[in-house]
Amino acid sequence: MRELTAEQVGALAAALDLPVTPEDVTEVTHRLNALIEALAPLAELPLERVEPVPGFVDPSPS
Amino acid sequence: MTADRADVAFLGVRRLAALVRERKASPVEITRVFLERIERLDSRLRAYITVLPDAALAAASRAETAVMRGETLGPLHGVPYAVKDQFDTAGVRTTSGSRILEHHVPAEDATTISRLNAAGGILLGKLNLTEFALGGTQQFPFGQPRNPWNLDHDPGGSSSGSGIAVAAGLCAASLGEDTGGSVRSPASFCGVVGLRPTWSRVSRHGSFPLSWSMDTPGPLARTVEDAACLLQAIAGYDARDPLSSRVPVPDYTRALAGGVRGLRIGIIRELTVGPETDGEVREAVVEAARRLAQLGAVTEEISLRLVPLAGAIFMALADSDGAGVHYGWLRTRAADYDQGTRRRLLTASLIPAAIQQRAARARALLRAEMLDAFARHDLLLCPTAHQAAPPIAVARGVITSRHEVAGRFFTRRSYVTPAALAGLPAIAVPCGFTRSGMPLSLQLIARHFDEATLLRAAHAYEQQCEWWTRRPPEAS
Repeated sequence: MRELTAEQVGALAAALDLPVTPEDVTEVTHRLNALIEALAPLAELPLERVEPVPGFVDPSPS
Repeated sequence: MTADRADVAFLGVRRLAALVRERKASPVEITRVFLERIERLDSRLRAYITVLPDAALAAASRAETAVMRGETLGPLHGVPYAVKDQFDTAGVRTTSGSRILEHHVPAEDATTISRLNAAGGILLGKLNLTEFALGGTQQFPFGQPRNPWNLDHDPGGSSSGSGIAVAAGLCAASLGEDTGGSVRSPASFCGVVGLRPTWSRVSRHGSFPLSWSMDTPGPLARTVEDAACLLQAIAGYDARDPLSSRVPVPDYTRALAGGVRGLRIGIIRELTVGPETDGEVREAVVEAARRLAQLGAVTEEISLRLVPLAGAIFMALADSDGAGVHYGWLRTRAADYDQGTRRRLLTASLIPAAIQQRAARARALLRAEMLDAFARHDLLLCPTAHQAAPPIAVARGVITSRHEVAGRFFTRRSYVTPAALAGLPAIAVPCGFTRSGMPLSLQLIARHFDEATLLRAAHAYEQQCEWWTRRPPEAS
């Protein structure tokens, strides 16, 4: 995924009706790009056949 | 009271309960000792958001009457405890560490509070936390919590006050909540025991949510035995939390005496001797593993290749859940959030669905990797944190590049989030001090619902050491 620009992040926040200051946008852009970069190695994993379920450990309700 | 007043605050849950039961100490006198200490020390430490002196003394008086009448006493009878201000308390404001809930007064107790009170505990007050248990708070609305081992250092979070109060003798034990390390991190930085039970072992009812599939209430205490005692009181099915487990609750304190002989312990290489782990932390944790081996455990180094990614995976998932919880307030009360909280939630609100989905699948792989390790090992071992408590000034400050984000948010979370992502129980136990006098912490992780083995091993290690007997300089 390409690095997001501050303009794109601001537009995304506006689309969600989230009020953000210019300073917020700058930091949120850093945070979002860092997360995307940190998760990039996941693209190398064989994830297609993995069910995206959380770790339920006690499925019997009663 | 037979014990010296100054020592009462550090006797711990089991010993205080025994003194009350044997009529050697008065619940009112014990409660007064803690209230006096809070009055004297907490203006510097800021462990508490709300102190309840009148209610605590009234409860202590009732507890004393029950003792004198020879009534049946609960396991925590007359023992003063405190709770993270994330748990609802009937008629007592519950802020979740935020100005947004500054005047919020719940009508009923969280299930955990009801259970601790039913066991005889005396609630001293509500403890400070990072805003909405998220971490990254820049300006704490109810005062900057400080580490009792060095006031300039971070006490850890999000259950910051829960760690401080136990370490500084401002309560006998406390309750925190661990979504991705929020009990274990402050336990690690403050030099106390912190237990994250198996997800669903303890009811979440009445606890302000962050992530439905990871939120887990858990105790902080001076000793493993005390943590076991609190877990005993709060564990078990609750009809008000539909995801709480019906798996029977064993006798955790009885299980403590078994020792570690024959237990197979896997030392997670990536977290213990990996490049991100500070040298003093590595040294202390390797020495703790050696100590466990001397006690009869069979230890070996293992590799879990996905754990270094756990911090980022966690933030993609738990923060997204949190963004959902906070969406309404983010739109209408954005300025009432702390800047750090607001920016973290705004970030989470914008995570692309494809990234989140990939993280959810990676979580399942990570969980499978850990469960596979438990086919060959009874416990996993690693540091609780990659470093000792850093200065507060380092943990704060505006983010100026994406490289800073990785260092401040992902790396440290990779030590505590593997257990959270997999729903496994984990415990933080003091394992030494840095040369500058800050606590270090060992983490043990067990199979689902095997808190008994976890506590047994932690207790065996703890009893061979003297770390837990030390008191921080800011607690005298």
